[in-house]
Amino acid sequence: MRRNTESLLIVLVLLFSGVASTNYSQTKPAASGVAAGARVSQPARPTVPLTLPLKEGSVRFAIIGDTGTASKQQQQLADVMLQYQQAFPFEFVLMMGDNLYGSETPGDYRKKFQDVYQKLLDNKVKFYASLGNHDQPNERFYEYFNMNGKEYYRFTKGNAAFYALNSNYMDKAQLKWFEDELAKDTSDWKICFFHHPPYSSGGKHGSDKQLREVVEPLFVKYGVNVVLAGHEHFYERIKPQKGVYYFISGAGGKLREGDVKESSPLTEKSFDRDMSFMIAEIVKDELHFQVISRTGETVDSGVLKNQKKKA
Amino acid sequence: MIAIFAGMNQRLSPFAVAATAVAVACLITTSVSGQQKVVDQIARAEQPVVSPADQQTIKRFDQRLKQYVKVRDRVKAKAPKLAKDSTPEQIQAAETAFVSGLRASRAGARPGDLFSSDIAQYIRATLKREFTPTEKKEIKQVILEKETDIAVPLKVNYPYPDPKEFVEMPATLLLKLPPLPKQLKYRYVGHTLMLLDTDSNLIIDYMLNAIP
Repeated sequence: MRRNTESLLIVLVLLFSGVASTNYSQTKPAASGVAAGARVSQPARPTVPLTLPLKEGSVRFAIIGDTGTASKQQQQLADVMLQYQQAFPFEFVLMMGDNLYGSETPGDYRKKFQDVYQKLLDNKVKFYASLGNHDQPNERFYEYFNMNGKEYYRFTKGNAAFYALNSNYMDKAQLKWFEDELAKDTSDWKICFFHHPPYSSGGKHGSDKQLREVVEPLFVKYGVNVVLAGHEHFYERIKPQKGVYYFISGAGGKLREGDVKESSPLTEKSFDRDMSFMIAEIVKDELHFQVISRTGETVDSGVLKNQKKKA
Repeated sequence: MIAIFAGMNQRLSPFAVAATAVAVACLITTSVSGQQKVVDQIARAEQPVVSPADQQTIKRFDQRLKQYVKVRDRVKAKAPKLAKDSTPEQIQAAETAFVSGLRASRAGARPGDLFSSDIAQYIRATLKREFTPTEKKEIKQVILEKETDIAVPLKVNYPYPDPKEFVEMPATLLLKLPPLPKQLKYRYVGHTLMLLDTDSNLIIDYMLNAIP
C-alpha cells in the first residue's frame, strides 16, 4: 500500500513537473521553430515547434498519404498530428490515397481509419481523400472521406481550390472534367492531390511518366501551383518543374526506408528514415509548409511564393 | 454583332462582308477552343490509327457495352442506394446486394461476350503498334508491378478479390483503348486485360495477352 502510494506520488510529481509530458519544443527543437503556445491564447495546448505563421484567416491543412495499415506506427504518427492540430488548428486533411490497405470490411474502415484519427474527427477536422491503387472505388461514398460519391472532385477553402484526382485511372473523361474546371477557376491557389507522383526519386516506383505526359500540360497551362502525391512511402520535395511545386507525402502508414535515390537531380529535400506528415498554411500569396516525423522532428519547412500564372 | 455587319453592309461589297464574318467567326472559334484544347490535343496525339473496319469493330463493342450497362443499371436500381455520406456497413450492404443481383442476372456470361475476338484482336494490334520500345518498357513496368501475391480468378462473373490492389492504368495507354462507359473500367492483371464493373468489382470479361 505504502509502495503504491509512493509510486503514485512519483508519477504525479513527474506529470506536474512536465518531465513525463510530451513537449517537443524542449526535446526536439526545430532550427526555425517557434513555440506555438506563444501565439495561441489557450494555455492548455501543448507546445510544439511550429514554423508556420498562424495568421488569422489563413487556410490551414494537413497532408497524409498511404495511411491505411492500422499499424502501431500509423497510430503514433496520428498522435503527433493531433498534438500539432492542437497547436496549429488545421481545419482539414488531404489524403494522398491508399487509405485502406487490404480488405475493406466495416471493421477495416474502423481499424485503418476511423479509430486512428478519431480524436481529429472529434475536433471537427475534415478528411478529403483521393484514391490509391489499394482503394476500392466505393470508398468515394464513405462519410469521413468527403468525396461526395465522386472519384475526382474539387472544393475550395478561402483563396485556394483543391483538386482530388484519381491517378489510378486517368481517362479522357477525367482529363476533360479537370480541364473544364481549371479553365474557369479564378482561385489564387490551385492545388492538386492524387496518388501517383509525376516526379519522384523513389527506387521502388519512381516518376510516373505516363501520368505526367497527360496532366503536366494542364498544370502548366492553367497555372496549377502545387501538386501533392503519395505512393512512395517517404517524403520528398521536388525541385520546381516547369514552374510547378511538387511534393510526395506517402509515409503516413508505411515506410520504405532508404528508398530515395541518393543524388537524384529531382530532389530538393527528402526524408525516408521514418514516417511523416505535412502541415500547411496559405497566407495570401504564400504557402508555408512544415514536415514532421513520427518522433516529432521537423524534417523540412519553407515558404512557397504563388507563381501568379494565368490561363 | 449583327448590327455591326448591317452597318458594314452599307459601305462594303457583299463579298467583303462575308469574308469579314468568316474571319470573325474563325477568331471566336480559335479563342474558345484555345481555352479548352489541351486535352483534345493530347487525345488527338494519342489517337490510334483506326481503319474503317476497326471503326465497325469498335462500334459493335460499344453496342455490347451499352447492352451490359442496361442490364447492370436495372440490377443496380434494385440494390440499396449509397448516399455521399454512407457508413461502411451501408457500403458493404449495397455492394453485397448489387454483386449478388448482378451475378444472378449474368449467370450465363462467358469469356468473350464483350471482348469478342475482333475487338480483342484490334486492341492487341493497337497496343503493339502505337508505342515506341521505350514507352512499351515503361508501360510494362507499371502494368506488371504487383504489391501483393493475391491471385485474381480468371473467371467471368467472379469478384475481383477485395484485398488485391488495382494496377494503375497507364494514362497514355487508356487513351489508346476504346472508351468505356463510367460503369466499367479496364484493369490489368499480369498480361490479361479485364473489364471490371466500377461499383461491384465483378469481372465482366477478360482478354489474354493484351500487353503492349
